[in-house]
Amino acid sequence: MARYAMVLDTRRCVGCHSCTVACKVHNDLPVDMIYNPVTTVGPTGVFPHVHMVHIPLLCMHCDNPPCVDACPTFASQRRDDGIVFVDENKCVGCKACVMACPYGARVSNHAKGTVQKCDFCMDRVDVGKEPHCVKTCHQRARTFGDLDDKDSEVYKLVYGKHTVRLLAELNTDPYVFYIYELEART
Amino acid sequence: MSKNIDLEQEGIQVKKTACTFCHTNCGVLAYVKDGKVLDIEGDPEFPTNQGGLCCRGNIAMQHLDHPDRINYPLKRIGKRGAGEWQQISWEQALDEIADKLSKIRDEFGAEAVATAGGTQRTDDWARRRFMNLFGSPNGFHNSHLCWIPTFMVETAIYGWCPFELDMDNSRCLVLWGQNPGASGMPEMHHITELQAKGLKVIVIDPRFTETAAKADMWLPLRPGSDLALALAWLNVIIDEGLFDPDFVNNFCVGFGELAEHVEQYTPEWAAPLTWLSADKIRESARMYATNRPGNIQWGVAIDQSGKPAGAAMHARALIRAITGNLDAPGSDLLTGPSPDFITDEEMEANDQLPEQQKTKQIGADRYKMVTWPGYGRIAELTREVWGKAPTAEWMCEAHPPSVFKAILSEKPYPVKAMLVSATNPINSYGDSKMIVEALRAVDFLVTCEYWMTPTAALSDYILPVAGALERPNITSTYGCSDFILASQRAIQPMYERLNDYNIWRDLGLRLGQAEHWPWETLEDAYLYRISALGYGVSTYDEFVENYRYHFPEREYYKYLRIGFATPSRKVELYSSVLEELGYPPLPTYIGPAENEADDPELAKEYPLVLTTGAGFMPYHHSEHFQIKELRFLRHEPYMDINPATAAELSIQDGDWVWIETKRGRIKQKANLTQALDPRVIYTQRGWWFPERDMRDPEMGGYLESNTNVLTSVDDEHCDPISGTWANRGLLCRVYKVDGTNEKGGR
Amino acid sequence: MKHKDEGWGWMLSLDFFFVGMGSGMLIIGGLVDLFIGEGRTSVLGNFLGPVLMAIGPAFLTLELGKPTQAWRVFMNPKAILTVGAWVMSMAIGIGFMYASFGIEMLPWSYGFGFVRKLLAIACVVFGVVSGIYPGMLLGRHKARPFWNGPGIISLFFLSSLVTGVAGHSLCGLIMAAPTLSDVLRNLPLLIEGLLGLQLLLWGGYIWVKRSGGTEAEATATKRWISGDLSMAFKFGVILCGTLLPMVLVLMPGAIFQGIGAGLVVLGGLIMRMLVVRSGEDRTWLPGEQKYRSRLPGGDEAFLKKAWNIK
Repeated sequence: MARYAMVLDTRRCVGCHSCTVACKVHNDLPVDMIYNPVTTVGPTGVFPHVHMVHIPLLCMHCDNPPCVDACPTFASQRRDDGIVFVDENKCVGCKACVMACPYGARVSNHAKGTVQKCDFCMDRVDVGKEPHCVKTCHQRARTFGDLDDKDSEVYKLVYGKHTVRLLAELNTDPYVFYIYELEART
Repeated sequence: MSKNIDLEQEGIQVKKTACTFCHTNCGVLAYVKDGKVLDIEGDPEFPTNQGGLCCRGNIAMQHLDHPDRINYPLKRIGKRGAGEWQQISWEQALDEIADKLSKIRDEFGAEAVATAGGTQRTDDWARRRFMNLFGSPNGFHNSHLCWIPTFMVETAIYGWCPFELDMDNSRCLVLWGQNPGASGMPEMHHITELQAKGLKVIVIDPRFTETAAKADMWLPLRPGSDLALALAWLNVIIDEGLFDPDFVNNFCVGFGELAEHVEQYTPEWAAPLTWLSADKIRESARMYATNRPGNIQWGVAIDQSGKPAGAAMHARALIRAITGNLDAPGSDLLTGPSPDFITDEEMEANDQLPEQQKTKQIGADRYKMVTWPGYGRIAELTREVWGKAPTAEWMCEAHPPSVFKAILSEKPYPVKAMLVSATNPINSYGDSKMIVEALRAVDFLVTCEYWMTPTAALSDYILPVAGALERPNITSTYGCSDFILASQRAIQPMYERLNDYNIWRDLGLRLGQAEHWPWETLEDAYLYRISALGYGVSTYDEFVENYRYHFPEREYYKYLRIGFATPSRKVELYSSVLEELGYPPLPTYIGPAENEADDPELAKEYPLVLTTGAGFMPYHHSEHFQIKELRFLRHEPYMDINPATAAELSIQDGDWVWIETKRGRIKQKANLTQALDPRVIYTQRGWWFPERDMRDPEMGGYLESNTNVLTSVDDEHCDPISGTWANRGLLCRVYKVDGTNEKGGR
Repeated sequence: MKHKDEGWGWMLSLDFFFVGMGSGMLIIGGLVDLFIGEGRTSVLGNFLGPVLMAIGPAFLTLELGKPTQAWRVFMNPKAILTVGAWVMSMAIGIGFMYASFGIEMLPWSYGFGFVRKLLAIACVVFGVVSGIYPGMLLGRHKARPFWNGPGIISLFFLSSLVTGVAGHSLCGLIMAAPTLSDVLRNLPLLIEGLLGLQLLLWGGYIWVKRSGGTEAEATATKRWISGDLSMAFKFGVILCGTLLPMVLVLMPGAIFQGIGAGLVVLGGLIMRMLVVRSGEDRTWLPGEQKYRSRLPGGDEAFLKKAWNIK
């Protein structure tokens, strides 16, 4: 069985927000809904000794997802391959998952009365395509794949490079990894 | 949740089209069924973007059928700017426009008709063809702000512009005033890949940009001081013997004069002018000169600096010359115009413009490089060596500020008609207030547009143009590259939009130009252009579908075979062409357009240094403010200010502030950031508010946050060589918006 | 949109309040019955307990995106919300059944004392679980630094107890009967003790969260000490909800008792509103707050203009 994961290389990300827009447009999201914001930390320091990093955020598709834990209706589910998604039909919009997610990945759809989130474009993944955010990134800052496959890019990055995970101490066991350069270049 | 469109269903055609939201023209695949575009995605097989697509590319479908698009020809009824329009047929529109132009020509001469364009988005060779056949020399774009002066000055020195960077084999890249991280994404990707393999990157930019954050060295110089830096680099490279003696001895003229000339421009001299330490200047010059081969990537910064621009381009051009970084592997390549396909210039019918009309080109008397005097000489030289000339619709243009002023002052003669296409001059040309005055005053104003922009709102006729997905594209770097990238249209234009090519053609047909417009459609014209390539295709679409692009074999050191296209056939460090035109043959220091050293009184009133014009995602110039998906990400204008300066002015993050220069003031919100020097201010370009009333006087808040209210087109601020005006290196002051000053004059 | 639009709002706090007070009333009703004697709490009070516990979830149901499908909340036994839903439903039923023993018209009110005792025990058990469950629900939120941890369990449970006592006190004042007088006399003392405990526990909670936890906890707690929640906290919860009643309930006279008990209830309500508000503070990710603070609020003209309606 596969275990999907994503690796975000912040050394490459330039904060262009293309992934945010591609996701929004291809998923037909309401205007006010963003699945994957890209934040900018910095410039940190004092001019001209500054550094800056951009951090794409999205659902971490945790192995220990607080949102699935919190959902009373079975709407929030985790597939065997790790993808966490919402079954719209079962969702009643109680927002327990919104409150539970430390990453702010869940968003309410006020028109439908349900909650939605990034699902790693599972319809595309199931037919062998990449998620939209990965495909659109000019910088190739996003890598998606099966962490159980030793030949995959994600495997090489996660196990070959130094990667960190956000809020790892909260024991959510996220499957989105970040390559993060600790030293500024200039 | 996904749109779940079955892209494999019956009847789906995949069209190999291009994104047209910037001139990179990334490849796009459009999934079309029954004449409707169902979905788009980046083309994974396209050489530049390989499947990637930026914010703007991703919203092509939102752009295509946006409720606010202009879909039918409109004629003004009622006062100009009143917002009262009558929808008319193309027949009527074109008949009336042609008629009016003809009358103006009869009474005032063809030169009384001018056209204004923006950055390359349309078939500008067609526009030039029309203007040449009509008899007017007064076509122009924002070319002066974007590369064109650089092209011409560099061509004067070494016979073509070496804009093709052979980065794959390079060891050092200097990004001089360019931020691909927020604008040219495929380029940024390329740079990132090469950095991983060891390419050193130097970024010269007053701001700590997306690209600067990834660089090996960042030079945060004073806006507008690029000339001082370039002269100091020349000084260091020559003084420390870091130049290429073989290349200099065998292929350059004027090295001795240059060496003597730059002796005075030491790093110590440059330090207080550039705000960089002498050490840093030395270090950076050494980094470039010793890590050969290397590239200097041109950026708009110098083109937009006004008065010192020409000299700065000249100095920068000499740096790559004396280090031998010209047409060698890994350096900047002089590809020359393509001998293989029919170039833009060859489609412009420049020979049809009478010599007498050429002399009437506005601004040519004063600014010679990007007008007929300079272009004519350059074209002569390039034809001699390369066999072809650079594109005239870009490299040979009337001086835009002078044309707008001519509307108002009738000097040198009255300009009675302005045909606008692919630009919103109120937002994109210098000194917006003057532009607005001119557009209100001009007798006849026609705008070809997607949207009801402030310029369109003041027009007499608005013609709907077909845009993204509705047009084929030949991408060839403003007609000057030796390669082409070819894309087909996904669908025919919707509603009653027309390709701009057809607008110019249809006007031409009504004005006696019929014999010169044999190609009915763009595809016909494009087929004509690529036939010479010898791919044996019978339609243009066939070429796109089966071949998609043409890259000739790379030949280095072409100058060994044909020489440089200069009078001496060598690199003219001491430029005889510039001298011929009456300009200094060697770059001499000129201070930024407005600066504290030359004008201390002004600096007391306006103590901060302004830089503008830098691009930022998700917009492109003044576009996309009505696309909700993009506007949501950045819905208000923000200016950058250093926190120390903000504290002195009691400004907090997010406060609305006035930014004021001698020309006027605008308001934007304050973004406190350490990304720039406490003495520097940056304002975002492009801002207008399409959601507001587009009728006069509101007109989408056309002056409220519009950076071009601040810029200067005064003759004394323009570059004497090219006429480019000053967007950067100006003096300004900043103060909070509060109850007392909220209203009132701009 | 701005993050304030996401997540739970004031209706949740009403739900917590009603459930809290209701469960407290169930507990007190049951305990008094078991250890002091039957009929020592007013019938009004006995009924008010389950009534309040039923009103709470009504608000919760209204807050749902799809209220007509509220039944789905009972579906996932592994989810704490589902467990809570079941327990509360049973508590309501048991509470009503117990309270019905106080209605003279009903046939079983004169006898079946054994059943009544059993129901009293059940009231206590289910009341306790219902009183503890909201704190457990909140305390388990890794994402909400002010809530996270076991401490909030005691704060909520204590509040439900003290508001429950206050509820019975008020009901006893309204619907007094001779048998209540000894209990009524002592309820204020109980309130006094619980309020004192509440004061100490809140002080300790704020102190530990502010200086003995993570940065996110400290930032979230600052809102209670000097930020936007501090006024309501200090004035509403501490002054009016705790200190004033501590004085008032010791003063003789029904009017003082009544006002004191009323203020205790009000303080419990305000406290829960503040706690839910405090849930807006999340474990923010790097750069996130600045990003979200610059997003449109939702009423901007470019959003409202009828563009691109899908």
